[in-house]
Amino acid sequence: MIKVENLHHSYNNDEEYAVKDASFKIPQGEIFGFLGPSGAGKSTTQGILTGLLPLQKGIVTVAGYDVKTIKRKMFNKIGMSFEQSNVYSKMTAKENLDFYKKLFDVETRDSEELIKLVGLDGKENVRAGEFSKGMKHRLTFARSMINNPELWFLDEPTTGLDPAIAADIKDIIREQNKKGVTIFLTTHNMFIADELCNRVAFIVDGEIKLIDSPKKLKLEYGEQLVEVEYQKNGDIATETFSTVLAEDKKRLQDVIAKYDIQSMHTKEATLEEIFIKVTGRGLA
Amino acid sequence: MKLWHSFKKEILLATRGFYFYVEIAMAGLFLFLLLFVIPENFDHRVDEYLFYDVPDSAWGYFESELLEMDEDGSAEVVEIELDKKIISGSLYQTEENNYYVLDDQRQAISLADSERAFAGVIHMDELGEVTYTYYMQGYETDRLRNIYAVFHNESMDVLESAFDAQDVQVLHEDQVLLSDRQNILPSFLTFNGSLMGMFILASYIFLDKKEGVIKAYAVTTSPVWQYLLSKVGVITLTSLVTSLIITIPVMGTQPNYLGMLVFLLGTGFAASALGLVIASYFDDITHSFGVLFGLVIFLMLPNIAYFIPTWDPIWMKYIPTYAMLEGFKEILLPGGDMAYILMASFGFFIAGLVLFLFANMRFKKTLTI
Repeated sequence: MIKVENLHHSYNNDEEYAVKDASFKIPQGEIFGFLGPSGAGKSTTQGILTGLLPLQKGIVTVAGYDVKTIKRKMFNKIGMSFEQSNVYSKMTAKENLDFYKKLFDVETRDSEELIKLVGLDGKENVRAGEFSKGMKHRLTFARSMINNPELWFLDEPTTGLDPAIAADIKDIIREQNKKGVTIFLTTHNMFIADELCNRVAFIVDGEIKLIDSPKKLKLEYGEQLVEVEYQKNGDIATETFSTVLAEDKKRLQDVIAKYDIQSMHTKEATLEEIFIKVTGRGLA
Repeated sequence: MKLWHSFKKEILLATRGFYFYVEIAMAGLFLFLLLFVIPENFDHRVDEYLFYDVPDSAWGYFESELLEMDEDGSAEVVEIELDKKIISGSLYQTEENNYYVLDDQRQAISLADSERAFAGVIHMDELGEVTYTYYMQGYETDRLRNIYAVFHNESMDVLESAFDAQDVQVLHEDQVLLSDRQNILPSFLTFNGSLMGMFILASYIFLDKKEGVIKAYAVTTSPVWQYLLSKVGVITLTSLVTSLIITIPVMGTQPNYLGMLVFLLGTGFAASALGLVIASYFDDITHSFGVLFGLVIFLMLPNIAYFIPTWDPIWMKYIPTYAMLEGFKEILLPGGDMAYILMASFGFFIAGLVLFLFANMRFKKTLTI
């Protein structure tokens, strides 16, 4: 669905690249996470893929279209949910969606159904200017589904949303993916990436450092650990043991035999920890 | 169809916004000024204060001369304020002058001083010799002073024969002039229809930039030029409506409304496209204000030449609003020059097209800013 080869982009047309030699492929039906801290080149890459930025160097194919010479028809297949909400504040939620419905040449979704889907039912005829930040974000998210996109670009889809709404949004993303929609998810939130993505790419300073599935990354870079809480001399003690090292395994058996165990659970490395390990950079 | 939907959306946004009503209110204000403040024709008559120091027997002769010139053939007794006192005098009105005849020489001179006007004292001695003393402000031209000198030092016979010898040919006998009120209209139409359009279009774009909706539009199948053209369309339509609000009550059926429609489409398109170009270089109206304000001032310069025909330098004619003023004037005049209107409209349309294409290129490049 997306094919990127040797992509470079410089805002000043010089050697200061915001994106350097990026290459990746995303097959149809995959949720691909594009992860990195602010200024890493996530939005620049996404901008080029969606035609908001011109392609300077490299080969980019999106939904079967060469991005070098973008055809407007390409946008029938694409949905884009922006990080910053961008809806007409003087138009109601329904008017906003109804207007965008008319800008596509394919069958579109019912505005009221989408409004309901993102939890804004009852607000159809309220002007977006009266919405909270989170509500505007949900309307922007709903708009990105209006043309039943085959390829869906999501930029920080759960930012600024309360946990319950964020969970609903994640469910919608999973639901769309089940229908075969390919998703390009740009985020610096490792938890949502871990929950949703089939594969993730780590990007730092414009360079893709690694691409793999979260599961494989955890196996490769994470340690298999067991955290145990037990009573020792009237106090609660906590220790972490490796399930790989022989010495730790023996020590764990000793603790189980000797002490009264309060709790015991396995602990795997988070995607964020792996990111820091691989790139040497945090996500802040 | 997408362009039509975008246009409808822009109309909806405009009617829910502030700037649309600013334009309508401005048109209403201009109309109010034209109908209730600005007279049909300004009073160009110059005040002159006269004192006749002549015997009663001779006054009858001078008075008959004044009455002969007076528009209604009778003197009007008037009260004039001088040094916080009310004095009386007789007023004789001609097409060009208000002659105030006073009872006291000092009053005439004092009024000339306080009113920055002209005073004359006509004195006749015992021998019947008449002398004229003029009190002027000191800034009068040599030409005027020479006229007075010639007038009183040359015999009337010589002057009359010189006047008679002058051959005057009228080139346009059927020429119709606009009244002073109507003559102001081209200036208002240029300001309201075109310059306001440029300013308001830029404001609409800045509002959209703030809301980020241009980016959302850019990822649809509708090209950015349609988004820009729909904005231009709304501005042009508003210009058309506001221009008619001003023109119809003042001019009635006299103007060439078809010509006006064509001209407003051309000028409105050019001014809006200029607004688009400016808006493409800035993020918000605050940063662009200096450029917009400077440009409006520059484009208003031809107004000076319009109202002061003696100051009409060649370079002024290259400022587009000069052609706008002339075009609107031709539209308002009965039998105005249609060829000029069409040529100017075409010129503005071409200029607008170049600016529009440039703005479109700029917006495509700066969508992520």
